[in-house]
Amino acid sequence: MIPLKVSNLVKKYGDLEAVKNVSFEIQSGEIFGLLGPNGAGKTSIISSITTIEKPTSGSIELFGGRVERENKAAKAILGVVPQELVNHGFFSAFEVLEFHSGYYGIRSNKKHIEFLLNKLGLWEHRDKKIKQMSGGMKRRLLIAKALVHQPKLLLLDEPTAGVDIELRASLWDFVRELRDSGTTILLTTHYLEEAEELCDRVGVINHGKLIKIGPTKQLIKELTSRQVAIYLKNKLPPCQHINLIKSNAQEKSMLFEISNQTGIGELLAQLKFPMEDIIDIQIQEGRLEDAFVKLLGDKNELTS
Amino acid sequence: MPLSNSWGIKMNSPAKPFVSQELTWTPFFSLLKREVQRFLKVAVQTLLAPMINSGLYLLIFGLSLGSRIQISDGTSYLSFLIPGLIMMGCLNNAFSNSSSSVVGSKYGGELEDYKAAPLSSQQIIWAISLGGLFRGLLVGLVTFIVGEAFLYFQNGEFLSIQHPVLLVFFLTVGGLSFAKLGLSAAFWAKSFDHLAAFGTFILMPLIYLGGVFYSLEHLSPFWQTLTQFNPLFYFINGVRYSILGASDVNVWMAFGISLIMLLLFHGFALFSLKGGSFNRW
Ligand SMILES: Nc1ncnc2c1ncn2[C@@H]1O[C@H](COP(=O)(O)OP(=O)(O)OP(=O)(O)O)[C@@H](O)[C@H]1O
Ligand SMILES: [Mg+2]
Repeated sequence: MIPLKVSNLVKKYGDLEAVKNVSFEIQSGEIFGLLGPNGAGKTSIISSITTIEKPTSGSIELFGGRVERENKAAKAILGVVPQELVNHGFFSAFEVLEFHSGYYGIRSNKKHIEFLLNKLGLWEHRDKKIKQMSGGMKRRLLIAKALVHQPKLLLLDEPTAGVDIELRASLWDFVRELRDSGTTILLTTHYLEEAEELCDRVGVINHGKLIKIGPTKQLIKELTSRQVAIYLKNKLPPCQHINLIKSNAQEKSMLFEISNQTGIGELLAQLKFPMEDIIDIQIQEGRLEDAFVKLLGDKNELTS
Repeated sequence: MPLSNSWGIKMNSPAKPFVSQELTWTPFFSLLKREVQRFLKVAVQTLLAPMINSGLYLLIFGLSLGSRIQISDGTSYLSFLIPGLIMMGCLNNAFSNSSSSVVGSKYGGELEDYKAAPLSSQQIIWAISLGGLFRGLLVGLVTFIVGEAFLYFQNGEFLSIQHPVLLVFFLTVGGLSFAKLGLSAAFWAKSFDHLAAFGTFILMPLIYLGGVFYSLEHLSPFWQTLTQFNPLFYFINGVRYSILGASDVNVWMAFGISLIMLLLFHGFALFSLKGGSFNRW
């Protein structure tokens, strides 16, 4: 059964159309990345799934069940880490997790809570009140909260914002571990290397429209090109090849940009350089970031 | 700091077989437990402060001014005042418990958790308003004890409760109603000041003009008529009747109006949850 199916979702805030007729599906056991610049509509989509915001129109299905304010069964299998940190007044981390387990229908959940606290490096902070925690600790507590009931679908809205480098890498591992144990994951992030590393598939959203969706690798292949640098022994031969973008006489190197469909052999055959003259060939594959920038057209748009 | 060294552990292993989810009652009782623990954690503000408050009223109105006020059937003013103060404390604290809980959760972003969780609107309303009721009842009880102490000190006798079952009824219905009103106000409030304004401009006048401190016979006909439109008048006199055995209104009328108020305020609360905002400030 499809973990998440969003159909023709529209979300308006007054006159502002934050989500414009978005449809997509997430497959079982995958990590799906929702990418887009600030204000693109990612959080609006997530809030619609969790029923925090009411969609203007369209429908959302979780494992075949329609998501609605009062549909408990659908909500009970969903876990969410919101983008914004949450405070809990007078309660300690452990108490917060116990109450949260209760809201999801689990009366005694001590063992799993202990496991999560250990896993997320929060065990020694379990008696701290939330306001006594650092930003990164609060974010990890949010992750623990989202996992108390072992959700089948996990929504992570910028889970690594404000988390230090070392911890971020461990979080990635944790997310992969969750996926491997059967949790389906949707995440948003502004770190494209993170998305490239983690996500099986990504969807790119801009100004509320879903402009591209597909397997991460395929997207990169389709939208980026490879850069091939060739280092020669002797002085550079004259070359008019259309893919040549730079030559450096001092380094005796030439830089070519070729599409992902063109083979290296093809390029070399066209160039007809003598084999014994070539010292080195370096190939740089395209990155998700390049694909992203290309999709959004203009880099300036990233901040608009 | 690394997350954990024990990457070998599989996510699901410690809690397997997975604890079953009981979605009918557990979410509701968890929220209720949270509500009660919340005010118990700050008992100095939530229980001790109202106790001092009632103590002051009893001192100023009951002991010093009270000796000059006559109640026609011969009850002492202090005995007349105690039931009013009990209900005032109960209503006030039920209201402020649920409103500050909701507003605090809005401020921290926690309220969005309730909406995402498998909690129905009815469950959220009942859990929060029962939390408010518990605090209202505790404050009512404390006020009663303090009142008895004052009475013993002044008259050398205790006040006995004439109709205990009715007393529990009026306190429960009143506390629940006001907890629901507090919840509704908090859902619509856009800021702390907004909520405070509701208290100052609407709630306080209704309570003070609802007959806590005086009997209808002390008022001019105009104010007598006006007072009868104040729903709090019936709550307060219901409690007064339950304790003293006499009051300004027919007890069954107070009974009926109290129930209507409860229904009305429950409707408000439901409407507020559907239309008001769970979003953080
Ligand atoms: N509660 C709200 N009321 C009015 N407008 C809103 C509200 N929430 C979001 N918006 C607007 O909707 C648009 C989409 O916002 P959203 O938070 O979904 O973006 P996002 O993709 O999550 O951005 P970011 O990467 O910055 O988190 C923005 O223009 C934002 O200003
Ligand atoms: Mg966002």
